Amino acid sequence: MELILSTLINGLSLGGIYAMIALGYTMVYGIAKMLNFAHGDIIMVGGYVIYVFMAFHNPLLAILMAVVFCVLLGITIEKVAYKPLRGASPLAVLITAIGVSYLLQSLAQIIFGSANKMVTVYDFGSVKFLGVPVQVSALVTLAVTVVVMVALTLFVKCTRLGRAMIAVSEDKGAAQLMGINVDGIITITFAIGSALAALAGLFYLLKAPSISSTLGAMPGIKAFTAAVIGGIGSIPGAMLGGILLGVVESISYKITAIAPYTDAIEFSILIIILLVRPTGFLGKKRREKV
Amino acid sequence: MMNKLKSVRWNHYINYIVIGIFTLVFGIIALTGGRLNSSLLFLLEKIAISVILAVSLSLVVGFLGELSLGHAGFMCVGAYLGGKVASLLPSSLGGGIVGLLLGLLVGGGIAALCGVVIGIPALRLRGDYLAIVTLAFGEIVKSIFQNTSDETFGGALGLETPRFDKNYLFIFAFLLVLLTLAAIQNFIRSKHGRAVTAIRDNEIAARACGINVTKYKLLAFTISAFFAGIAGVLYSFSNYTVQSAKFGYNYSIEILVMVVLGGMGSINGSILAATLITFLNTKLATILTGDLAVLQNLLYAVILIVIVIYNNAPKLKSFRDRHNLGVLWNKLVRTRHNPANIKDDQAKWDVVPTKIEMNEVLSIDLVPQDKLEKRNNSGKGGDH
Amino acid sequence: MKLTKVLALVLSVVLGLGLFAGCGSVNYAETNTEYVIGVSGPLTGGAAMYGVAVANSAQMAVDEINAAGGLNGVMFKLIATDDMHDATKISTNYSSMYEGGMQVSLGTVTTAPGLEFKNLSADDNVFFLTPSASGDDIPTNPNGYQMCFADGNQGKVAAEYVSANFSGQTIGVFYKSDDAYSKGIYDQFKSNLDASVTVVETTFTDANTTDFSTQIDTLKSCGFIFMPIYYTPASLFMMQAKDIIAADAVYYGCDGFDGIDNIEGFDITAIPQEVTMLSHFNSKATDGKAKEFIDKYVAAFGAETLNQFGASAYDCVYAIYGAMKNAIDSGKQIPVTISASDLCDILTAEFNGGYALEGAVTGDGSPISWESTGYVNKGAIKYVIKEAN
Repeated sequence: MELILSTLINGLSLGGIYAMIALGYTMVYGIAKMLNFAHGDIIMVGGYVIYVFMAFHNPLLAILMAVVFCVLLGITIEKVAYKPLRGASPLAVLITAIGVSYLLQSLAQIIFGSANKMVTVYDFGSVKFLGVPVQVSALVTLAVTVVVMVALTLFVKCTRLGRAMIAVSEDKGAAQLMGINVDGIITITFAIGSALAALAGLFYLLKAPSISSTLGAMPGIKAFTAAVIGGIGSIPGAMLGGILLGVVESISYKITAIAPYTDAIEFSILIIILLVRPTGFLGKKRREKV
Repeated sequence: MMNKLKSVRWNHYINYIVIGIFTLVFGIIALTGGRLNSSLLFLLEKIAISVILAVSLSLVVGFLGELSLGHAGFMCVGAYLGGKVASLLPSSLGGGIVGLLLGLLVGGGIAALCGVVIGIPALRLRGDYLAIVTLAFGEIVKSIFQNTSDETFGGALGLETPRFDKNYLFIFAFLLVLLTLAAIQNFIRSKHGRAVTAIRDNEIAARACGINVTKYKLLAFTISAFFAGIAGVLYSFSNYTVQSAKFGYNYSIEILVMVVLGGMGSINGSILAATLITFLNTKLATILTGDLAVLQNLLYAVILIVIVIYNNAPKLKSFRDRHNLGVLWNKLVRTRHNPANIKDDQAKWDVVPTKIEMNEVLSIDLVPQDKLEKRNNSGKGGDH
Repeated sequence: MKLTKVLALVLSVVLGLGLFAGCGSVNYAETNTEYVIGVSGPLTGGAAMYGVAVANSAQMAVDEINAAGGLNGVMFKLIATDDMHDATKISTNYSSMYEGGMQVSLGTVTTAPGLEFKNLSADDNVFFLTPSASGDDIPTNPNGYQMCFADGNQGKVAAEYVSANFSGQTIGVFYKSDDAYSKGIYDQFKSNLDASVTVVETTFTDANTTDFSTQIDTLKSCGFIFMPIYYTPASLFMMQAKDIIAADAVYYGCDGFDGIDNIEGFDITAIPQEVTMLSHFNSKATDGKAKEFIDKYVAAFGAETLNQFGASAYDCVYAIYGAMKNAIDSGKQIPVTISASDLCDILTAEFNGGYALEGAVTGDGSPISWESTGYVNKGAIKYVIKEAN
């Protein structure tokens, strides 16, 4: 019982981070219709910004700076690398995104070196829950992720800007005809996605106070898996997918025989989901039009 | 007419001739007992492996138009299985030609089987999703070999494989480069190759024209995987150990950089870029040490971004048409570009629009290029 | 367009021919004016602390020997190349060093690249004495020797310790299942462990993993945790586990733990548990050769990279120097332009013939000698990095 509970709690806290990243992925993919490979690396940038500003020993300042910096970075990347390719083949956009991801990683390595940097943002300590020790930071992560998910859902459903986003994701041409500034909407999407990535970077640091230039690469890909499982473009889906993936990873690490294959298992799930139900659990089915 | 025919042939076979002469020169030096530096020998082996990888990936990325991020995975399968087969033979055979041929057969064959397996999702998925699936495949393969037991594939310690005599391996490696070129270049220039490029340019239109999309996609993936496997076998014969850590998706991306740098859909470009990047990798590694080593990755990233944007940005199209190597060449040599001379493997994305409205599909060959573009632009109402 | 590419291809080949048309020679050391020692190690990346320590310490030993007049007036020179703990870099590193006149080598700093290095050096018959590549398979060729304990030996010693102290109890093991070093030690540990000890094991694979909450959760009730891993993941594990694992628990590591108390941003005193490792070097030594080495090293390079890998490399250089001196004293000729292969024959004869290094920095003070299999004979010390609070 205790084993199940602790595995579940670990899975939830890991899943919360994946969900946070997946939310950003799903927004950008849903609206800009591109796989932003560099999304994971924005997490890493966020982490490094926090590391730099923690020199002032003020966690709130560091977090704020990380969010601001990542938003600016996200917008810049969109304007410089992705916008010129709007209307070009999806393959070209994808390769550029991979290039941006590589660029961010190597820049970080040049600036901060290849060794891990340690930084403790804030030590929440741990509490006992039904006899199981739980990191408070994990609860914070989960709570913030749920709040962000609800806020995003409300934002998209209830504000003019949010509805404009839905319109752009449905049909760019029609949205433009309705007087929506498509470029502006896409920029805002990237800004929101990057802000979420910065928060994910913070959660990583809360969980494990160490950062390196490849911090975001694997979580980025896994979070994409989460977004696909939940259904690309669906905000609650990203949450669901992230949590599911976190729990699966946590269970898999618990079983000694399959623990070394954890990554392989997660990727296998991705392939199976894409083959069997490419729209995920909560995604809308879309017919490919000519 | 005769002249034109001759020049076409010359262009078609130039890469075989150049690589053939190259092999011959070094081969004669090696066979007549001239000791070549081992650093040169290692470099030649690495170049041959990269060229095979780049050319085979070019088939999928440049001609089929699907992004594969799992090319290193196919290579990994080839390296482990080919190396394993050779290590099972008695050491006198395993490190020799028998072992190499058997390894190539098994490694390439099983990699090709994996190509079929990955080709099946490719039938259902396109673009981003397929890229992620191939990436996942590569990571799964890596993870499986990493965790095998010591007796089967060496697990974390890596598989110890027999190494082919380093003084002669590069000759076989370059013969395999020629074989790869012959297979892939002839495939592309055949009607099968034209079917593959048609699928790239518009899958639905291709299907409407009666092309068996399933068959050709599978075929392209299988051929590409087979030669990646061959490259893997070569790798296992040019090293004492095969360690799966090498075959991560970073390596797949490095191969992709070669293909993109060489110009998508250009076999010769891939060869050139693979040679150049491998050469730089080896030479820069001894010059750029410490944290400077990462400058190399930075360079690749910038190359990737700049080249792709330059070649694909819709707004840069007119600029591209005015300033490119072809125009420069024409200016220098003052020859006219005759449309009849355009070879099929020179087809570019910007020659055929990637998005075609359904009502234009049937008339695509009849509408001149510039009119088609005008119509596209006005039709979409300033989409970008 | 096409013609341009063809032209470029032809040009590049011509250039290539011009650049490389150099034939190899039998003895690349023909033009040497100093004895050249080569080493390949991770000067950057996650294991950089080891590579840097080895390069620094070996250079320090070389400088000392040179300052004392070299070997009969002939100076030594060290070439250090960066392999980033990546086996695929070895062929390039090795050939550039070999063709740069390397006559004797310290091999590689870490195990995975060493598996490639040992065979390349065996082809050319180049002697190597590795300070820290501890894989059991590293010295299997006649030209290879180790200054550190082999993994199997570390695993065995750890298993003996655990069997003796934790009979009938449960212990935890945390290892990296896809790493040659970690898995090598753990496999030996498991096969030598007393059957009465119950093992709870947990693992991780991705080198970029920073979150170990699941693994910590698995081990949370263990009072003794054996961690045959490198210091970076170990430090992260300890930081995240400090409130969860019992405060009186013991973390027991192997030589990969070395340097864990010198990581920037990681305050080992904040960890309540005891951190212990099996070592051959006491980095807090207060007397003897170890103390001299520590003082000199800290003065020259600071304390951040002071660890047993460096101490071991320092001993390696002196061992090679001592063996060469022995050979010359017994009437052998070692000219400065001696080929690597000839020097290898001389050195293997010395090492197999009972040569022992006196006054070494590592070990328990007794002379260090080698078996003809290449494994080292020296005393181990159980080194407590940090007591339990």
